[in-house]
Order: sequence, then structure tokens, then C-alpha cells
Amino acid sequence: MHIMEGFLPWQWCLVWWIIALPCLLLGIYQLKRVLAADRDALPLLGVTGGFIFILSSLKLPSVTGSCSHPTGTGLSTISFGPWITAVVCAIVLLFQSLFLAHGGLSVLGANIVSMGVVGPLAGYAFYRLLRDTSVNIYITVFLVTAMADLFTYITTSLELALAYPAESGGVVSSFLLFLGIFAVTQVPLAIVEGIVLALVFKYIITLKPDILIRLKIFSKEKINAARNEI
Amino acid sequence: MFEELLEDIAQKNGLREVNAYLKLAAGLGAILLCLLSSSYLSPLFIAIVLTCAILILAKVDAKTYAELFIVPFWFAIMSVAGIILITGGQDIFWQWNILPSFSLSITRESINQGMFVFCRVIGGMSAMIFIALTTPMTDIFIVFRQCRVPEVVIDLMMIIYRTIFILIDQVIQIYQAQVMRLGYSTYSESLHSFATLCGAAFIASWDAGEDLIRAMDARCYDGKFALLGESRPVERIPCLAVVCFLFLSTASVIASGTMTII
Repeated sequence: MHIMEGFLPWQWCLVWWIIALPCLLLGIYQLKRVLAADRDALPLLGVTGGFIFILSSLKLPSVTGSCSHPTGTGLSTISFGPWITAVVCAIVLLFQSLFLAHGGLSVLGANIVSMGVVGPLAGYAFYRLLRDTSVNIYITVFLVTAMADLFTYITTSLELALAYPAESGGVVSSFLLFLGIFAVTQVPLAIVEGIVLALVFKYIITLKPDILIRLKIFSKEKINAARNEI
Repeated sequence: MFEELLEDIAQKNGLREVNAYLKLAAGLGAILLCLLSSSYLSPLFIAIVLTCAILILAKVDAKTYAELFIVPFWFAIMSVAGIILITGGQDIFWQWNILPSFSLSITRESINQGMFVFCRVIGGMSAMIFIALTTPMTDIFIVFRQCRVPEVVIDLMMIIYRTIFILIDQVIQIYQAQVMRLGYSTYSESLHSFATLCGAAFIASWDAGEDLIRAMDARCYDGKFALLGESRPVERIPCLAVVCFLFLSTASVIASGTMTII
């Protein structure tokens, strides 16, 4: 659900860039630390980036300067936390605008905030909440992904509403209008994406559980429990 | 769906040999001017000039270029319709009060606003597509390195860049195999097939990524990719063309002021 090039006035482009930049800097700092500690994380980072690219390229039209699609950020959020995800997302969004003419350069800041910062933060909150409880890994992954997706679309609606408030009712009513239009496609998509990523996680746990343990994503006991269920 | 990326066209376009900074200056300058303009005319002017540049100078196939515009064009029309309906104004042509606190209307001001946003989107899109079609990502990596973007980020970009192509290959192969075996015949079937597709592609490209790191380690990789890229010289004619273009666009932004369509 990237906003299109030229859709936001320059004042708003600037505001979203200013919000996005500190998050990116924090992400770069963390990225350096993770890579210094464990170089093997690099392929996983690359794959999650490619994965976000492919998933968020499957777009459906939606009536608002923007379109609906899965975001794919859940996986990266769980593996590396929200700030590194912001950096990966920024790179992916840049590639999308230059490879597929999807998204834009001036609105990159706004798209980073919605897809790379707010969505992953919401997903990460759910992950932290559920990680140490006895909730099944797959349900955790499902919830994290679906929430990252839903919060991304709520933020996009807010960005559009702030730039184009309705005459009657102002920002609130145009926010509800954009939200309503997105909800039609995005709520089912969030659920499907959650299911798909939970299945992808099942593959990883079956075939390559070691990296999940090394990155301390889930505890060893929990992964062994999940493996035994399969 | 991913058979042809803009990157493929960019690698063999007519402006491939022009200095990357010049092309970026033209594209980014155009985007900036589109945003700063407060009239619908100058984004249109920018769109026309850049479209000519893409078709004639970069020798991009007109059909490919038109196809690129179909989706954004469609989105732009729908979004602008939304903006026209929710923006208010004095000179009301049509109004519908759905709820006491919420109404839709078409006014002179809203049509002007909608037309302005529409032209800005078209101008911005053409500028972005201009960069996408004339400057390959590999050139942009070199620009990033010269602009002191942190090494980690450039490394990550290159890994993602490579992974995207591996993933696309995987996805196309597996997808075609699944379609041949009726993997997408029913809804639940297609959900399952899609998850298998994602999982299999994920593991395959992860393996490819690990192989890459191992291969590079064997060649003394120390966390920094060597980037081979000669900066092409800034030639006089392209440089003049870019300066002229930016000058004329700035002039059009200033001259058109806040001109509106009706």
C-alpha cells in the first residue's frame, strides 16, 4: 500500500522523512552490531529483504492513491526487531520504486514510516508479549504478521487523511473514509498473509531451526516443542 | 508477473553511458519541481519533456512505457475522484449529504485541486520512471558509496538486490510447475500452494545466500563488497541538456504561478 509519487504535498513528504530518519539511523546502528556479532545473519537479512520485495509487489488496486498488498514485514520483525526492519524496508521500497515503478521517491519517507516503522513496531510489541508465554509459535507468527499488516494500513490511511482532510469533519472523517476503503481488501489480506508466514515459519523450523536459536528469536525448548508437533 | 523488470531495460537503454549524476539530477530535480509547483501546468510540462527523453533519447519501446503508466494512471484517476469528492469549496456544482456530519461535494475548488494532484502524480511518475529506465541500480550503488552512505547499508542493498533475482527465478519456476499440476484450481488449494511456494522459495534463496557468503569468504571477504564501476565523464551536451531542462522547468513553475484549470 505504497503511496504514489507526487501524491503528497511537499510539506507532508518532509514531515514523514523527518520522522523516518532517526528510525533508520537507529536501525543502521543495530545492523552494524548484529553483523559484527554474527556474519551469518547477512544471508537471512538478504532473503527477508527479497521476500518483502516479492510479497509487497503483489498489488491490488484500492481507491486511494495507493494500493493494497501484503507487506511481508512480519518475518523480518521477528528475526531482527523493528529498527533493522525499517532499514530493510527502506531498501526494498527504493528498489520497488526503481524496479517496478511502484511507490515513489519523494513519498519514500511516508512509506517507510507506515510499512517500515509503525507496522513492525506493532508486530514487535505482539511478539514480545507472546514470546515467553506458552502460546504456540505459529499463532505468535500469525498474530505478529497480521498486526504488522493492519497497522501499516492504518498509518497509510492517517498519512493520506492528514494530507487531504475532508471538508466536513476534517481529518477524522477522511481518515475513516480511507480506512473503510482499505479495510475491504486489507483485512482478508492480513489474515491470508498471517497464515502464509506461519506456514513459512513451519518450513524454517523443520529444515533450519539452528538460526532461529542462534539469533535468540525463540527459546530452544519452544522450538523443540514445535518440531515435535510436526 | 516479474518477467521484465525496469532494471533489464535500464541495463541497455540509450542513455546508459551518460554520467549517473546527470541523470539523477534531471530526475530528482523534476520530482522536486513537481512538488514545489502550485499549478497543474508545470508538472505536465515536465512529464511531456521527460516522456520525450525516455522515448527518443533512451530509445525505450513506446508500448513498454505506456504499459508502465496504465496502473499508476488508473490509481491516479480513482484517488483524484476521491479527493474531488471530499474537498470542499465555495462554488458548489453538486452536493450529497450522506450523514448530518459528512457530505460529498463537487466544487470548482475541488476540481482544481483534483486536477492539480493528478498532474503532479503524472509528472512525478514520469520523473521516477525516467530514473528507473535510464539508471541501472549498479550505477546507483556507486553513487551511494560516493555519497558516504554507510557500508553496511550498501552491502545489505547488494545482497537484497541479488536475492530478489534469485527469488524471482525460484518463484517463476515453482509457480509454473504448480500451475501445471492444477495447484491453483480451488481457493484452499491456491492458499496452500502459495504458502508452499513462499516457503520453498525462501529456503532456496537462503541457501543461495549462504553459498554466496561462503564463496566470498573463500575470496577474503571482509564485510565490504568491492564495487567495480568507472564514473563516466560529464560530457558537455548532456550536461547542457540537463541544465536547460531544469532551468525551463523552474521557469515554468514560476511563470504558471497558481494557475488553475477552471
